[in-house]
Amino acid sequence: MAFDLLVNGGGYRVEADPQTPLLWVVRDHLGLTGTKFSCGIGQCGACTVHVDGRAVRSCSVPASVAIGKPVTTIEGVSPDGTHPVQVAWKEFDTPQCGYCQPGMIMSALALLRDRPRPTDADIETRITNACRCGTYHRVRQAIHRAADLMARAR
Amino acid sequence: MSIDVTRREFLATVAAAQGAFVLGFWVPQKALAQTPPAQTAPGAVWYEESVTPEINAWIVIAPDDIVTIRIAQTELGQGVWTSNAMMVCEELQCDWTKVRPQYASANRDAREKAPEWTLEVPGNGATDPKGGGEPAFGNRDRTGVSGIPDSLYRRMRTNAASSVKDGRYYLQLAGAEARERLLLAAAGVWQVPVTELTAKDSVIAHASSGRTTTYGRIAPRAAQTPHPAPDTIAIKPPDQWTLMGTEQKNLDVPAKVTGQTVYGIDVRVPGMKWAAVKACPVYGGEVKTYDFDAVRNLAGVRSAMKFPIPDPALTRGRVFSGGVAVVADTWYQAKTAIDRMPIEWTVPPELAAVNTPMMREALLAALDQPGRMRVDQGDVDAGFARAAKVVEATYSTPYLARARMEPGNATVLVTDDRLDIWIGDQSPQETRFSAAKITGIPEENVHLHLCHLGGGFGRNGNGPQAEQAIMIANAHRGTPIHMLWTREQDFIGTTYRAMGLARLKAGLDADGWPIALEVRTCMQRDGFGPDASFDVTSRYHVPNYRYSSHTTRFHVPVGTRRGVGQAAHEFYRESFIDELARVAGKDPYRYRRELIARTNLPYKADMIKALDMAAEMSGWGMPLPRGKARAIALEERGAEGNASATISAMVHTVSVSREGKLRLERVDVAHDAGFGLVNPLSVKKQIEGQITWFYNDAMHQGTTIADGHVVENNFHTFPLSRMNEDPPDINIRFFATGHWLIGMGHDRATSVQSAIGDAIFQVTGKRFRDLPYSRHDLRWG
Repeated sequence: MAFDLLVNGGGYRVEADPQTPLLWVVRDHLGLTGTKFSCGIGQCGACTVHVDGRAVRSCSVPASVAIGKPVTTIEGVSPDGTHPVQVAWKEFDTPQCGYCQPGMIMSALALLRDRPRPTDADIETRITNACRCGTYHRVRQAIHRAADLMARAR
Repeated sequence: MSIDVTRREFLATVAAAQGAFVLGFWVPQKALAQTPPAQTAPGAVWYEESVTPEINAWIVIAPDDIVTIRIAQTELGQGVWTSNAMMVCEELQCDWTKVRPQYASANRDAREKAPEWTLEVPGNGATDPKGGGEPAFGNRDRTGVSGIPDSLYRRMRTNAASSVKDGRYYLQLAGAEARERLLLAAAGVWQVPVTELTAKDSVIAHASSGRTTTYGRIAPRAAQTPHPAPDTIAIKPPDQWTLMGTEQKNLDVPAKVTGQTVYGIDVRVPGMKWAAVKACPVYGGEVKTYDFDAVRNLAGVRSAMKFPIPDPALTRGRVFSGGVAVVADTWYQAKTAIDRMPIEWTVPPELAAVNTPMMREALLAALDQPGRMRVDQGDVDAGFARAAKVVEATYSTPYLARARMEPGNATVLVTDDRLDIWIGDQSPQETRFSAAKITGIPEENVHLHLCHLGGGFGRNGNGPQAEQAIMIANAHRGTPIHMLWTREQDFIGTTYRAMGLARLKAGLDADGWPIALEVRTCMQRDGFGPDASFDVTSRYHVPNYRYSSHTTRFHVPVGTRRGVGQAAHEFYRESFIDELARVAGKDPYRYRRELIARTNLPYKADMIKALDMAAEMSGWGMPLPRGKARAIALEERGAEGNASATISAMVHTVSVSREGKLRLERVDVAHDAGFGLVNPLSVKKQIEGQITWFYNDAMHQGTTIADGHVVENNFHTFPLSRMNEDPPDINIRFFATGHWLIGMGHDRATSVQSAIGDAIFQVTGKRFRDLPYSRHDLRWG
């Protein structure tokens, strides 16, 4: 079976069962390994990507839901790490092992799109990704900083 | 940076498929060479031979001044990729913005001997600021558990929070030896005395003639210039550091925010197939039957096989399980097939009957046995006889998984005479030993390519992911096999922190000060650190002190988990001190302070300093609204001896609502800086991270056993806290002390456990002694 996906602005023909979780299509068929597998049950958010602008836990949705909708992965955020969220993440040296961070960044981007000036309460409600190293304290600061940088750029 | 175009054809075809286009393979090392210097090194990180001759085993300097620094520890989020490079760069005096870390070769580590000039530790141990501290190197061990003594890089494992403690002196020496040879080479070219030259930021200058050259230009000559007396080279003491001791952002962070970092799970090798596995959920169990015919026609499925219990001699005596693997074109196909494949297990019946309540009973019973007497000071019985009041409490801590975010995986290619394995691994020599034993391929032909780890917390699980992957690949010789565990398999394949119990009994005098203390701790026989924190002394002064450790036998494989016994034992000790202070009617901070002041411990001034500083930072004693409370605790490693140590104290401010909702609101940290921290930014991150780690231990996590198997096998039952439980306010201050630190990677913030317990007591009047607290009713009012 073959179907078409639009990922990070590029069109791809994927030879796979469309019921395959979007995560595995992105990682193993498109070779975009920045999106991570961790729990496989939509709990931890390491696999977060955007489908049609919304943050989605890609381990738990079939690739078919993304057909005809733009998909953005961590590789599509910027070609060189210069997106304000990535700049803010680097400023606070946020990652430790880094494994959950692509998903964390994708969730932060979705939050900032809805709430350009998020409060701590917004962050606590909307960012539900898990980080085992405990980077939450820097994630919080980096999101506020990213909001500043994005406001300045507007 | 130069690329070795003649490097093995095999490795040249290895590609991590990245970027937007899957059509072209992207060779990480080439991309590395093409990136501009500004700390943008992309993901793949394993050892490469270089065309440019190395200055020494740690350092390669390319003509464009890019300095490759080889790292013999594994980056798992602790910052070793950066701190190791800082220690070399400090002495090399090269341009930090042009430093590129790369993993050292585990094969070279085993094959080559350490340079003579790295063998002797300079100075006088842990309390000499000018020396190399107190590194510990294991005895020669065939299995590689302790590393291979006097191997090229001295120590290739990543454990015991010791990367900085053990590696500092020879990493500084490596940088210094290279710097001196670069200077000698320049002096030779210019025919001037070497003493007239200076080196800074990769530039060598001769002031009187105005001549300069760069490291990149002189490096080929330096590589041919031996140092006449390398054992006379001295390392810089902390008061001369310029890079070490400053906050440096981690060199791997840019790649981690763009998704470029190559973890083990991201390795792609041409022709690679994927393996999904199921191991028997009960440790010690094996596969009885499996029906491959039921799934062999599913898309992409290639083969299935069963594998035995990995030889316990290769897994430090631990008995894991046998299992079955399905190999397919993609991992999801393999996983789908194995989920549908009928499997029957053979489980030893006595193990299938084991459950947590029965284990707790066994531990309690063992506490009443004589145990192993470790300390018996003064006359404990006479102390109790004299006591005005006797206080006794029993505490427990559950089995705990590490639950790193990256599930266990390894990519292995076995041919008739060579084995390649790509893996994030805290103990690569141990894995090479396993590979040789399982396949019969000589160990020197086992090539291990280190990847970054998506969390570690103890030999990447101490579990059998490498052994399973090697067994599967050995049955598929010629085909690279990438074995990847599901999250559920990861909970079967990990080792656990041992479940533990402690009974503490104190006799108090009429003023509430302890005059007798008896401590009994219990964990399974193979548990790690059975005497941590109670050995040698009671820490808090008690004139009559008796300590015994007790054991029983359980089948759950246990291992290190962000430390050994310390975390649980500090929970027992600090909780009990709080209870004694409450009984005595004394302030828990001042009670601790007085009991430390009464000791003769070598670092008692540091402990008092930590307590005073944390209390002061927190506003200790200032009124708090109803529902909020502060609690303090001391954390130490090494307080019992006159050696390396790490001392800290923390005050935790906790709120508990009437509905029983708890929040750790604020943490004030007073932390030992020793003679100097290498990268204070990484240290802060380690402290912040461990506040979250021990918050999870205290509040949420507990592994139970039912019918012989682990019950909590994914994040819905083994919860990880999220943003909404992060303490909004974390304040960290350092204080200088007169010793080198042990390390930062574990046993920091253990105080969260007892402090939350005491805060709950202050707010609700209820004292809970069994972790985690979320299993108790915290409501009040």
